[in-house]
Amino acid sequence: MNVYITSTGSHLPGPPIANDEIENVLGLVHKKPSRLKKKILESNGIVTRHYAINQQHETTISNSEMAALAGQNCLDGAGLPKSRISMLSCATSQGDLVLPGFGSMVQAEMQIPDVELHSAHGICSCSLMALKAAYTNLLAGEHDNALVVASELCSRLFKSSRYEVVNSDKPIDFNAEFLRWMLSDGAGACLLQTKPTAKSFRIDWIRSYSHADAFPVCMSVGAPSDSNDQRSWQDFASYAEAEAAGALLIRQDVRLLDNIVKLGVDGFLRLIDEGRVKPADIDHVLCHYSSDYFRSRIFDMLTVAGVAIPQQRWYTNLYTRGNTGCAALFIMLDEFSKTQKYKNGDQIMCMVPESGRFNTAYMKLTVVEKT
Amino acid sequence: MEEKLVHPQAQQCLQQLMRVWFDFERRLNRVPIINRLETGHFTVEDYRELLLNLRQQVIEGSRWISRGASSFDRHFSDVRSIVIAHATEEHKDYTILENDFVAAGGDIKEIIQRERNLGSEALHAFLMYKATQANPISLIGAMWIIEGLGQKMAVNWADRIEQLTKPYNNHLNFLRYHGENDDSHMAKLYKLLDRVCQSEKDTRVIVKTARVVARLYAMQLDEIDEQ
Repeated sequence: MNVYITSTGSHLPGPPIANDEIENVLGLVHKKPSRLKKKILESNGIVTRHYAINQQHETTISNSEMAALAGQNCLDGAGLPKSRISMLSCATSQGDLVLPGFGSMVQAEMQIPDVELHSAHGICSCSLMALKAAYTNLLAGEHDNALVVASELCSRLFKSSRYEVVNSDKPIDFNAEFLRWMLSDGAGACLLQTKPTAKSFRIDWIRSYSHADAFPVCMSVGAPSDSNDQRSWQDFASYAEAEAAGALLIRQDVRLLDNIVKLGVDGFLRLIDEGRVKPADIDHVLCHYSSDYFRSRIFDMLTVAGVAIPQQRWYTNLYTRGNTGCAALFIMLDEFSKTQKYKNGDQIMCMVPESGRFNTAYMKLTVVEKT
Repeated sequence: MEEKLVHPQAQQCLQQLMRVWFDFERRLNRVPIINRLETGHFTVEDYRELLLNLRQQVIEGSRWISRGASSFDRHFSDVRSIVIAHATEEHKDYTILENDFVAAGGDIKEIIQRERNLGSEALHAFLMYKATQANPISLIGAMWIIEGLGQKMAVNWADRIEQLTKPYNNHLNFLRYHGENDDSHMAKLYKLLDRVCQSEKDTRVIVKTARVVARLYAMQLDEIDEQ
Protein backbone atom coordinates (compact mmCIF):
# COMPACT_ATOMS: atom_id res chain seq x y z
CA MET A 1 0.00 0.00 0.00
CA ASN A 2 1.12 3.56 -0.71
CA VAL A 3 0.09 6.81 0.92
CA TYR A 4 -0.10 10.03 -1.08
CA ILE A 5 -0.33 13.71 -0.25
CA THR A 6 -3.13 14.53 -2.68
CA SER A 7 -3.75 18.14 -1.69
CA THR A 8 -2.19 20.93 0.38
CA GLY A 9 -3.51 24.16 1.84
CA SER A 10 -2.47 27.08 3.99
CA HIS A 11 -3.67 30.17 5.76
CA LEU A 12 -1.61 33.22 6.61
CA PRO A 13 -3.43 35.78 8.76
CA GLY A 14 -3.68 39.48 7.85
CA PRO A 15 -1.41 41.39 5.47
CA PRO A 16 2.33 40.74 5.08
CA ILE A 17 4.23 42.76 7.68
CA ALA A 18 7.57 44.25 6.62
CA ASN A 19 10.59 44.48 8.91
CA ASP A 20 10.04 48.18 9.70
CA GLU A 21 6.41 47.47 10.66
CA ILE A 22 7.05 44.67 13.16
CA GLU A 23 7.26 46.90 16.20
CA ASN A 24 4.04 48.70 15.15
CA VAL A 25 2.30 45.37 15.71
CA LEU A 26 4.25 43.72 18.52
CA GLY A 27 4.85 47.03 20.31
CA LEU A 28 7.84 48.83 21.79
CA VAL A 29 9.01 47.27 25.06
CA HIS A 30 9.08 50.08 27.66
CA LYS A 31 8.51 52.44 24.69
CA LYS A 32 12.03 51.85 23.38
CA PRO A 33 12.94 50.44 19.96
CA SER A 34 14.87 47.17 20.11
CA ARG A 35 18.63 47.29 19.72
CA LEU A 36 18.85 43.67 18.62
CA LYS A 37 16.14 43.69 15.97
CA LYS A 38 18.30 44.81 13.05
CA LYS A 39 21.07 42.31 13.73
CA ILE A 40 18.72 39.34 14.11
CA LEU A 41 16.68 40.23 11.01
CA GLU A 42 19.81 40.63 8.93
CA SER A 43 20.91 37.19 9.98
CA ASN A 44 17.60 35.41 9.37
CA GLY A 45 16.91 37.13 6.05
CA ILE A 46 13.11 37.26 6.59
CA VAL A 47 11.53 40.30 4.87
CA THR A 48 7.80 39.78 5.47
CA ARG A 49 5.67 37.68 7.81
CA HIS A 50 2.08 37.52 9.12
CA TYR A 51 0.59 38.08 12.55
CA ALA A 52 -2.76 37.03 13.96
CA ILE A 53 -2.78 40.07 16.29
CA ASN A 54 -3.39 43.70 15.35
CA GLN A 55 -1.71 46.91 16.52
CA GLN A 56 -4.07 47.04 19.52
CA HIS A 57 -2.78 43.57 20.46
CA GLU A 58 -6.20 42.05 19.86
CA THR A 59 -6.17 38.55 18.41
CA THR A 60 -7.77 38.78 14.97
CA ILE A 61 -8.10 35.03 14.40
CA SER A 62 -7.54 32.17 16.84
CA ASN A 63 -5.06 29.34 16.33
CA SER A 64 -7.82 26.78 15.77
CA GLU A 65 -9.60 29.11 13.32
CA MET A 66 -6.38 29.48 11.30
CA ALA A 67 -5.92 25.72 11.35
CA ALA A 68 -9.52 25.24 10.17
CA LEU A 69 -9.05 27.70 7.28
CA ALA A 70 -5.85 25.94 6.17
CA GLY A 71 -7.65 22.57 6.46
CA GLN A 72 -10.60 23.84 4.44
CA ASN A 73 -8.25 25.36 1.83
CA CYS A 74 -6.64 21.93 1.50
CA LEU A 75 -9.98 20.12 1.15
CA ASP A 76 -11.20 22.66 -1.42
CA GLY A 77 -8.22 21.74 -3.57
CA ALA A 78 -9.12 18.06 -3.37
CA GLY A 79 -12.86 18.43 -3.83
CA LEU A 80 -13.38 16.13 -0.84
CA PRO A 81 -16.29 16.99 1.48
CA LYS A 82 -15.27 17.23 5.12
CA SER A 83 -17.88 14.68 6.08
CA ARG A 84 -15.70 12.09 4.31
CA ILE A 85 -12.61 12.82 6.42
CA SER A 86 -11.89 9.76 8.52
CA MET A 87 -8.83 10.90 10.52
CA LEU A 88 -7.77 14.36 11.69
CA SER A 89 -4.19 14.79 12.91
CA CYS A 90 -3.19 18.23 14.24
CA ALA A 91 -0.01 19.88 15.47
CA THR A 92 0.80 23.09 17.30
CA SER A 93 3.26 24.28 19.91
CA GLN A 94 0.49 26.02 21.82
CA GLY A 95 -3.25 25.81 21.33
CA ASP A 96 -5.66 28.57 22.25
CA LEU A 97 -6.58 26.56 25.33
CA VAL A 98 -4.08 24.65 27.47
CA LEU A 99 -6.57 21.78 27.45
CA PRO A 100 -8.18 19.96 25.63
CA GLY A 101 -5.92 18.77 22.81
CA PHE A 102 -5.60 21.04 19.80
CA GLY A 103 -7.16 18.42 17.50
CA SER A 104 -10.49 18.64 19.34
CA MET A 105 -10.61 22.39 18.85
CA VAL A 106 -9.78 22.13 15.13
CA GLN A 107 -12.36 19.40 14.64
CA ALA A 108 -15.04 21.55 16.29
CA GLU A 109 -14.02 24.58 14.24
CA MET A 110 -14.16 22.59 10.99
CA GLN A 111 -17.30 20.67 11.99
CA ILE A 112 -15.95 17.29 10.89
CA PRO A 113 -18.17 14.51 12.32
CA ASP A 114 -17.09 11.17 13.84
CA VAL A 115 -13.40 11.52 13.07
CA GLU A 116 -10.46 9.64 14.59
CA LEU A 117 -8.36 12.29 16.29
CA HIS A 118 -4.68 12.80 16.93
CA SER A 119 -2.88 15.80 18.49
CA ALA A 120 0.89 16.19 18.30
CA HIS A 121 2.63 18.63 20.60
CA GLY A 122 6.15 20.00 20.28
CA ILE A 123 7.83 22.73 18.29
CA CYS A 124 8.85 22.78 14.61
CA SER A 125 9.01 19.04 14.10
CA CYS A 126 5.57 18.20 15.55
CA SER A 127 3.92 18.71 12.16
CA LEU A 128 5.93 15.75 10.87
CA MET A 129 4.94 13.80 14.01
CA ALA A 130 1.28 14.51 13.17
CA LEU A 131 1.90 13.60 9.55
CA LYS A 132 3.65 10.36 10.49
CA ALA A 133 0.81 9.34 12.81
CA ALA A 134 -1.64 9.83 9.94
CA TYR A 135 0.67 8.14 7.42
CA THR A 136 1.13 5.02 9.56
CA ASN A 137 -2.60 4.87 10.27
CA LEU A 138 -3.26 4.76 6.54
CA LEU A 139 -0.47 2.24 5.96
CA ALA A 140 -1.96 0.02 8.66
CA GLY A 141 -5.26 0.06 6.80
CA GLU A 142 -7.09 1.85 9.62
CA HIS A 143 -8.23 4.69 7.35
CA ASP A 144 -8.15 5.58 3.70
CA ASN A 145 -7.77 9.31 4.21
CA ALA A 146 -6.50 11.75 6.84
CA LEU A 147 -6.37 15.51 7.08
CA VAL A 148 -3.19 16.78 8.74
CA VAL A 149 -3.07 20.38 9.97
CA ALA A 150 -0.26 22.33 11.66
CA SER A 151 -0.82 25.81 13.00
CA GLU A 152 1.04 28.38 15.10
CA LEU A 153 -0.04 31.58 16.81
CA CYS A 154 3.07 32.66 18.66
CA SER A 155 2.72 36.44 18.23
CA ARG A 156 0.63 36.52 21.43
CA LEU A 157 3.86 35.74 23.27
CA PHE A 158 5.66 38.67 21.65
CA LYS A 159 3.40 41.53 22.71
CA SER A 160 5.46 44.25 24.41
CA SER A 161 3.27 43.94 27.51
CA ARG A 162 4.54 40.37 28.05
CA TYR A 163 8.07 41.67 28.48
CA GLU A 164 7.05 44.69 30.57
CA VAL A 165 5.49 42.61 33.35
CA VAL A 166 8.76 40.80 33.99
CA ASN A 167 10.10 41.94 37.31
CA SER A 168 13.66 43.01 36.47
CA ASP A 169 15.76 46.17 36.37
CA LYS A 170 17.80 44.83 33.50
CA PRO A 171 16.77 45.04 29.83
CA ILE A 172 15.42 41.78 28.38
CA ASP A 173 18.20 39.35 27.69
CA PHE A 174 19.18 38.28 24.19
CA ASN A 175 17.81 34.75 24.59
CA ALA A 176 14.36 36.03 25.56
CA GLU A 177 14.22 38.60 22.76
CA PHE A 178 15.76 36.50 19.97
CA LEU A 179 12.59 34.70 18.85
CA ARG A 180 10.58 37.94 18.78
CA TRP A 181 12.33 38.70 15.48
CA MET A 182 12.23 35.13 14.21
CA LEU A 183 8.74 33.65 14.60
CA SER A 184 5.33 34.55 13.20
CA ASP A 185 1.88 33.06 12.62
CA GLY A 186 0.28 30.79 10.05
CA ALA A 187 -1.20 27.37 9.31
CA GLY A 188 -0.67 24.65 6.72
CA ALA A 189 -2.41 21.39 5.85
CA CYS A 190 -2.02 18.19 3.84
CA LEU A 191 -4.58 15.64 2.77
CA LEU A 192 -3.39 12.02 2.77
CA GLN A 193 -5.11 9.35 0.71
CA THR A 194 -4.31 5.78 -0.24
CA LYS A 195 -5.01 6.46 -3.93
CA PRO A 196 -3.19 9.11 -5.96
CA THR A 197 -5.03 11.87 -7.79
CA ALA A 198 -3.93 13.54 -11.03
CA LYS A 199 -0.87 15.02 -9.33
CA SER A 200 0.21 13.73 -5.92
CA PHE A 201 3.26 13.35 -3.73
CA ARG A 202 3.84 9.73 -2.69
CA ILE A 203 5.26 9.52 0.84
CA ASP A 204 8.29 7.21 0.59
CA TRP A 205 9.15 7.42 4.29
CA ILE A 206 9.13 9.72 7.33
CA ARG A 207 11.88 9.38 9.94
CA SER A 208 13.07 11.42 12.89
CA TYR A 209 15.95 11.23 15.35
CA SER A 210 15.57 12.87 18.74
CA HIS A 211 18.58 13.76 20.91
CA ALA A 212 16.95 15.12 24.07
CA ASP A 213 18.95 12.61 26.13
CA ALA A 214 22.20 14.31 25.16
CA PHE A 215 21.37 18.02 25.09
CA PRO A 216 19.88 20.62 27.42
CA VAL A 217 16.69 22.48 26.49
CA CYS A 218 17.40 24.98 23.73
CA MET A 219 14.00 26.58 23.09
CA SER A 220 11.36 26.80 25.77
CA VAL A 221 8.44 28.45 27.47
CA GLY A 222 7.91 27.76 31.17
CA ALA A 223 11.28 28.28 32.87
CA PRO A 224 12.05 31.46 34.86
CA SER A 225 14.72 33.97 33.75
CA ASP A 226 17.01 32.95 36.60
CA SER A 227 18.67 29.78 35.33
CA ASN A 228 19.38 28.66 38.90
CA ASP A 229 15.65 28.63 39.63
CA GLN A 230 14.52 25.11 38.72
CA ARG A 231 10.79 25.80 39.07
CA SER A 232 8.36 25.38 36.21
CA TRP A 233 5.75 28.09 35.57
CA GLN A 234 3.23 25.77 37.22
CA ASP A 235 5.20 25.63 40.48
CA PHE A 236 4.60 29.29 41.35
CA ALA A 237 1.85 30.29 43.76
CA SER A 238 0.12 32.23 41.02
CA TYR A 239 0.56 32.63 37.27
CA ALA A 240 1.16 36.34 37.88
CA GLU A 241 4.24 35.45 39.93
CA ALA A 242 5.42 33.05 37.26
CA GLU A 243 5.08 35.75 34.63
CA ALA A 244 6.92 38.29 36.81
CA ALA A 245 9.77 35.76 37.12
CA GLY A 246 9.97 35.58 33.33
CA ALA A 247 8.66 32.01 33.24
CA LEU A 248 6.17 32.72 30.47
CA LEU A 249 8.66 34.25 28.04
CA ILE A 250 9.67 32.18 25.04
CA ARG A 251 13.42 31.67 25.03
CA GLN A 252 16.11 30.32 22.76
CA ASP A 253 19.46 29.35 24.25
CA VAL A 254 21.44 30.68 21.28
CA ARG A 255 24.68 29.20 22.62
CA LEU A 256 23.32 25.73 21.83
CA LEU A 257 21.87 26.56 18.42
CA ASP A 258 24.88 25.45 16.40
CA ASN A 259 24.19 21.86 17.43
CA ILE A 260 21.16 21.84 15.16
CA VAL A 261 23.39 22.16 12.10
CA LYS A 262 25.51 19.17 13.10
CA LEU A 263 22.51 17.07 14.10
CA GLY A 264 20.68 17.95 10.89
CA VAL A 265 23.67 16.78 8.86
CA ASP A 266 24.15 13.73 11.11
CA GLY A 267 20.57 12.62 10.43
CA PHE A 268 21.04 13.11 6.70
CA LEU A 269 24.20 10.97 6.74
CA ARG A 270 22.32 8.27 8.68
CA LEU A 271 19.57 8.21 6.08
CA ILE A 272 22.21 7.77 3.38
CA ASP A 273 23.79 4.91 5.36
CA GLU A 274 20.39 3.30 5.85
CA GLY A 275 19.90 3.42 2.07
CA ARG A 276 16.82 5.64 2.34
CA VAL A 277 18.22 8.43 0.23
CA LYS A 278 20.83 9.07 -2.46
CA PRO A 279 21.80 12.77 -2.61
CA ALA A 280 22.26 12.69 -6.39
CA ASP A 281 18.65 11.50 -6.87
CA ILE A 282 17.09 14.40 -4.97
CA ASP A 283 15.47 16.97 -7.27
CA HIS A 284 14.05 19.34 -4.65
CA VAL A 285 15.00 20.11 -1.05
CA LEU A 286 12.45 21.70 1.26
CA CYS A 287 14.31 22.38 4.48
CA HIS A 288 12.74 24.24 7.37
CA TYR A 289 15.63 26.30 8.63
CA SER A 290 14.89 29.18 10.94
CA SER A 291 17.22 31.61 9.28
CA ASP A 292 19.35 32.16 6.23
CA TYR A 293 22.41 31.88 8.45
CA PHE A 294 21.64 28.22 9.15
CA ARG A 295 20.92 27.47 5.50
CA SER A 296 24.50 28.30 4.57
CA ARG A 297 25.91 26.44 7.59
CA ILE A 298 23.97 23.27 6.73
CA PHE A 299 24.97 23.57 3.09
CA ASP A 300 28.67 24.02 3.93
CA MET A 301 28.73 20.99 6.20
CA LEU A 302 26.96 18.82 3.63
CA THR A 303 29.61 19.95 1.14
CA VAL A 304 32.43 18.86 3.45
CA ALA A 305 30.74 15.47 3.82
CA GLY A 306 30.53 15.25 0.03
CA VAL A 307 26.74 14.90 0.04
CA ALA A 308 25.66 18.43 -0.89
CA ILE A 309 22.61 18.87 -3.08
CA PRO A 310 23.12 21.84 -5.46
CA GLN A 311 21.74 25.13 -4.11
CA GLN A 312 19.38 25.61 -7.06
CA ARG A 313 17.42 22.54 -5.94
CA TRP A 314 16.65 24.11 -2.56
CA TYR A 315 13.27 25.79 -2.25
CA THR A 316 11.97 27.91 0.61
CA ASN A 317 9.40 30.62 1.25
CA LEU A 318 10.83 31.50 4.66
CA TYR A 319 11.81 34.99 3.54
CA THR A 320 8.29 36.05 2.53
CA ARG A 321 6.03 33.90 4.76
CA GLY A 322 8.16 33.98 7.90
CA ASN A 323 9.19 31.22 10.28
CA THR A 324 5.88 29.71 11.36
CA GLY A 325 7.28 26.92 13.54
CA CYS A 326 5.54 23.60 12.98
CA ALA A 327 3.33 25.07 10.24
CA ALA A 328 6.31 26.16 8.14
CA LEU A 329 6.95 22.90 6.28
CA PHE A 330 3.29 22.52 5.23
CA ILE A 331 3.10 26.19 4.17
CA MET A 332 6.30 25.64 2.18
CA LEU A 333 5.01 22.43 0.57
CA ASP A 334 1.73 24.16 -0.32
CA GLU A 335 3.44 27.07 -2.08
CA PHE A 336 5.99 24.74 -3.69
CA SER A 337 3.25 22.53 -5.13
CA LYS A 338 1.32 25.50 -6.50
CA THR A 339 4.14 27.66 -7.87
CA GLN A 340 7.16 25.49 -8.70
CA LYS A 341 7.92 23.22 -11.61
CA TYR A 342 8.26 19.51 -10.94
CA LYS A 343 7.57 16.39 -12.92
CA ASN A 344 6.56 12.77 -12.55
CA GLY A 345 9.20 10.83 -10.61
CA ASP A 346 10.89 13.89 -9.05
CA GLN A 347 12.13 13.21 -5.54
CA ILE A 348 11.54 15.78 -2.81
CA MET A 349 13.52 15.72 0.43
CA CYS A 350 11.90 17.52 3.37
CA MET A 351 13.90 18.31 6.49
CA VAL A 352 12.86 19.82 9.81
CA PRO A 353 15.71 20.17 12.29
CA GLU A 354 14.08 21.33 15.54
CA SER A 355 16.11 23.07 18.21
CA GLY A 356 13.57 22.68 21.07
CA ARG A 357 15.53 19.84 22.59
CA PHE A 358 17.00 18.67 19.31
CA ASN A 359 14.73 16.52 17.20
CA THR A 360 15.55 16.24 13.51
CA ALA A 361 12.79 15.01 11.20
CA TYR A 362 12.94 14.03 7.54
CA MET A 363 10.51 12.95 4.85
CA LYS A 364 10.98 11.85 1.27
CA LEU A 365 8.28 12.35 -1.34
CA THR A 366 8.06 11.29 -4.98
CA VAL A 367 5.93 13.16 -7.50
CA VAL A 368 3.30 10.86 -9.01
CA GLU A 369 1.38 12.05 -12.05
CA LYS A 370 -1.47 9.94 -13.42
CA THR A 371 -1.37 9.77 -17.18
CA MET B 1 36.43 23.26 6.46
CA GLU B 2 36.66 24.25 2.78
CA GLU B 3 39.25 21.64 1.91
CA LYS B 4 37.97 19.29 -0.75
CA LEU B 5 38.89 15.65 -0.74
CA VAL B 6 40.01 14.24 -4.06
CA HIS B 7 39.65 10.49 -3.57
CA PRO B 8 36.14 9.03 -3.31
CA GLN B 9 37.34 6.52 -0.72
CA ALA B 10 38.66 9.34 1.47
CA GLN B 11 35.34 11.17 1.04
CA GLN B 12 33.49 8.04 2.14
CA CYS B 13 35.78 7.79 5.14
CA LEU B 14 35.26 11.46 6.05
CA GLN B 15 31.49 10.97 5.98
CA GLN B 16 31.79 8.13 8.44
CA LEU B 17 34.25 10.05 10.60
CA MET B 18 31.76 12.93 10.77
CA ARG B 19 29.11 10.55 12.07
CA VAL B 20 31.55 9.14 14.64
CA TRP B 21 32.25 12.71 15.74
CA PHE B 22 28.56 13.69 16.07
CA ASP B 23 27.94 10.54 18.08
CA PHE B 24 30.96 11.33 20.26
CA GLU B 25 29.65 14.84 20.98
CA ARG B 26 26.36 13.37 22.19
CA ARG B 27 28.25 10.83 24.29
CA LEU B 28 30.33 13.64 25.84
CA ASN B 29 27.18 15.55 26.75
CA ARG B 30 26.06 12.54 28.80
CA VAL B 31 29.35 12.45 30.76
CA PRO B 32 28.59 13.92 34.22
CA ILE B 33 31.25 16.67 34.25
CA ILE B 34 30.38 17.81 30.70
CA ASN B 35 26.69 17.64 31.49
CA ARG B 36 27.37 20.04 34.40
CA LEU B 37 29.19 22.32 31.98
CA GLU B 38 26.35 22.24 29.47
CA THR B 39 23.67 22.85 32.09
CA GLY B 40 25.60 25.60 33.88
CA HIS B 41 26.40 23.73 37.11
CA PHE B 42 30.14 23.52 36.51
CA THR B 43 32.43 25.00 39.20
CA VAL B 44 36.11 25.91 39.43
CA GLU B 45 36.60 22.66 41.36
CA ASP B 46 35.22 20.83 38.34
CA TYR B 47 37.63 22.71 36.14
CA ARG B 48 40.60 21.73 38.30
CA GLU B 49 39.46 18.09 38.22
CA LEU B 50 39.18 18.30 34.44
CA LEU B 51 42.77 19.53 34.13
CA LEU B 52 44.04 16.98 36.68
CA ASN B 53 42.52 14.24 34.56
CA LEU B 54 43.55 15.60 31.18
CA ARG B 55 47.23 16.24 31.90
CA GLN B 56 48.45 12.68 31.64
CA GLN B 57 46.80 12.14 28.30
CA VAL B 58 48.26 15.40 26.99
CA ILE B 59 51.75 14.28 28.03
CA GLU B 60 51.27 10.83 26.51
CA GLY B 61 49.72 12.35 23.39
CA SER B 62 53.02 13.51 21.98
CA ARG B 63 54.50 10.06 22.75
CA TRP B 64 52.06 8.06 20.66
CA ILE B 65 52.34 10.55 17.83
CA SER B 66 56.15 10.28 17.88
CA ARG B 67 56.00 6.52 18.06
CA GLY B 68 53.45 6.43 15.27
CA ALA B 69 55.80 8.53 13.13
CA SER B 70 58.63 6.03 13.60
CA SER B 71 56.36 3.16 12.51
CA PHE B 72 55.85 4.54 9.00
CA ASP B 73 58.28 2.95 6.50
CA ARG B 74 59.87 4.60 3.48
CA HIS B 75 56.73 4.24 1.36
CA PHE B 76 55.06 6.61 3.79
CA SER B 77 57.98 8.96 4.38
CA ASP B 78 55.85 11.98 3.40
CA VAL B 79 53.27 10.99 6.02
CA ARG B 80 56.03 10.48 8.57
CA SER B 81 57.28 14.04 8.01
CA ILE B 82 53.83 15.49 8.64
CA VAL B 83 53.34 13.41 11.79
CA ILE B 84 56.78 14.34 13.18
CA ALA B 85 56.03 18.04 12.65
CA HIS B 86 52.74 17.57 14.48
CA ALA B 87 54.43 15.90 17.47
CA THR B 88 56.98 18.73 17.68
CA GLU B 89 54.23 21.33 17.84
CA GLU B 90 52.45 19.71 20.76
CA HIS B 91 54.95 17.95 22.92
CA LYS B 92 55.19 20.73 25.54
CA ASP B 93 51.48 21.53 25.71
CA TYR B 94 51.16 20.03 29.15
CA THR B 95 53.19 22.87 30.71
CA ILE B 96 50.50 25.34 29.55
CA LEU B 97 47.92 23.08 31.17
CA GLU B 98 49.86 22.99 34.46
CA ASN B 99 50.05 26.79 34.56
CA ASP B 100 46.29 26.99 33.98
CA PHE B 101 45.75 24.61 36.90
CA VAL B 102 47.74 26.88 39.19
CA ALA B 103 45.92 29.98 37.87
CA ALA B 104 42.63 28.24 38.72
CA GLY B 105 43.74 27.90 42.35
CA GLY B 106 45.40 24.48 42.11
CA ASP B 107 48.62 23.29 43.76
CA ILE B 108 51.35 22.44 41.22
CA LYS B 109 52.47 19.47 43.36
CA GLU B 110 49.04 17.90 43.14
CA ILE B 111 48.89 17.94 39.35
CA ILE B 112 52.45 16.70 38.90
CA GLN B 113 51.84 13.78 41.22
CA ARG B 114 48.47 12.80 39.75
CA GLU B 115 48.46 9.39 38.06
CA ARG B 116 46.58 8.45 34.93
CA ASN B 117 42.95 7.64 35.60
CA LEU B 118 41.48 4.34 34.35
CA GLY B 119 40.23 5.85 31.10
CA SER B 120 43.60 7.50 30.45
CA GLU B 121 45.32 4.14 31.06
CA ALA B 122 43.10 2.44 28.50
CA LEU B 123 43.40 5.27 25.98
CA HIS B 124 47.18 5.46 26.32
CA ALA B 125 47.63 1.69 26.05
CA PHE B 126 45.44 1.48 22.98
CA LEU B 127 47.15 4.35 21.19
CA MET B 128 50.67 3.09 21.94
CA TYR B 129 49.65 -0.34 20.67
CA LYS B 130 48.23 1.13 17.45
CA ALA B 131 51.26 3.41 16.99
CA THR B 132 53.61 0.43 17.19
CA GLN B 133 52.02 -1.40 14.26
CA ALA B 134 53.62 -1.05 10.81
CA ASN B 135 52.35 1.96 8.83
CA PRO B 136 49.66 2.85 11.37
CA ILE B 137 47.34 4.83 9.08
CA SER B 138 44.45 4.12 11.44
CA LEU B 139 45.95 6.79 13.74
CA ILE B 140 44.28 9.33 11.43
CA GLY B 141 41.09 8.22 13.15
CA ALA B 142 42.63 9.01 16.55
CA MET B 143 43.84 12.38 15.31
CA TRP B 144 40.35 13.15 13.98
CA ILE B 145 38.91 12.79 17.49
CA ILE B 146 41.76 14.53 19.34
CA GLU B 147 41.92 17.47 16.88
CA GLY B 148 38.14 17.76 16.94
CA LEU B 149 38.31 17.96 20.71
CA GLY B 150 40.92 20.71 20.55
CA GLN B 151 38.53 22.70 18.44
CA LYS B 152 35.57 21.94 20.70
CA MET B 153 37.54 22.96 23.81
CA ALA B 154 38.46 26.30 22.26
CA VAL B 155 35.14 27.08 20.60
CA ASN B 156 32.56 25.62 23.02
CA TRP B 157 34.20 25.00 26.37
CA ALA B 158 36.63 27.86 27.07
CA ASP B 159 34.10 30.74 27.08
CA ARG B 160 31.56 28.65 28.94
CA ILE B 161 34.09 27.74 31.64
CA GLU B 162 35.26 31.34 31.89
CA GLN B 163 31.68 32.42 32.50
CA LEU B 164 31.13 29.76 35.18
CA THR B 165 34.46 30.18 37.03
CA LYS B 166 34.53 33.92 37.60
CA PRO B 167 36.54 35.73 38.91
CA TYR B 168 39.48 33.44 37.97
CA ASN B 169 41.43 34.59 34.95
CA ASN B 170 44.33 33.56 32.72
CA HIS B 171 43.43 29.93 33.46
CA LEU B 172 42.12 28.86 30.04
CA ASN B 173 45.24 29.07 27.88
CA PHE B 174 45.42 25.34 27.18
CA LEU B 175 41.80 25.10 26.05
CA ARG B 176 42.05 28.27 23.96
CA TYR B 177 45.46 27.54 22.45
CA HIS B 178 44.09 24.49 20.70
CA GLY B 179 41.65 26.54 18.72
CA GLU B 180 44.24 28.95 17.37
CA ASN B 181 46.00 26.69 14.89
CA ASP B 182 42.87 24.85 14.21
CA ASP B 183 42.30 25.52 10.54
CA SER B 184 45.82 24.49 9.61
CA HIS B 185 45.52 21.33 11.78
CA MET B 186 42.23 20.34 10.14
CA ALA B 187 43.61 21.12 6.67
CA LYS B 188 46.58 18.84 7.40
CA LEU B 189 44.24 16.12 8.55
CA TYR B 190 42.16 16.29 5.36
CA LYS B 191 45.35 16.09 3.33
CA LEU B 192 46.53 13.06 5.30
CA LEU B 193 43.20 11.35 4.86
CA ASP B 194 43.31 11.94 1.13
CA ARG B 195 46.83 10.52 1.03
CA VAL B 196 46.41 7.36 3.09
CA CYS B 197 42.79 6.27 2.72
CA GLN B 198 42.68 4.32 -0.52
CA SER B 199 40.59 1.24 0.11
CA GLU B 200 37.53 0.09 1.99
CA LYS B 201 39.83 -1.65 4.43
CA ASP B 202 41.65 1.63 5.10
CA THR B 203 38.31 3.30 5.80
CA ARG B 204 37.32 0.49 8.13
CA VAL B 205 40.45 0.64 10.29
CA ILE B 206 40.51 4.45 10.42
CA VAL B 207 36.84 4.67 11.43
CA LYS B 208 37.16 1.88 13.98
CA THR B 209 40.17 3.54 15.60
CA ALA B 210 38.23 6.83 15.77
CA ARG B 211 35.34 5.03 17.48
CA VAL B 212 37.59 3.32 20.03
CA VAL B 213 39.42 6.57 20.83
CA ALA B 214 36.10 8.41 21.19
CA ARG B 215 34.79 5.75 23.58
CA LEU B 216 37.96 5.68 25.67
CA TYR B 217 38.20 9.46 25.78
CA ALA B 218 34.65 9.64 27.11
CA MET B 219 35.61 6.98 29.66
CA GLN B 220 38.54 9.14 30.74
CA LEU B 221 36.13 12.00 31.49
CA ASP B 222 33.55 9.66 33.04
CA GLU B 223 36.22 8.56 35.50
CA ILE B 224 36.35 12.07 37.01
CA ASP B 225 33.09 11.34 38.79
CA GLU B 226 33.98 7.71 39.51
CA GLN B 227 37.15 8.29 41.54
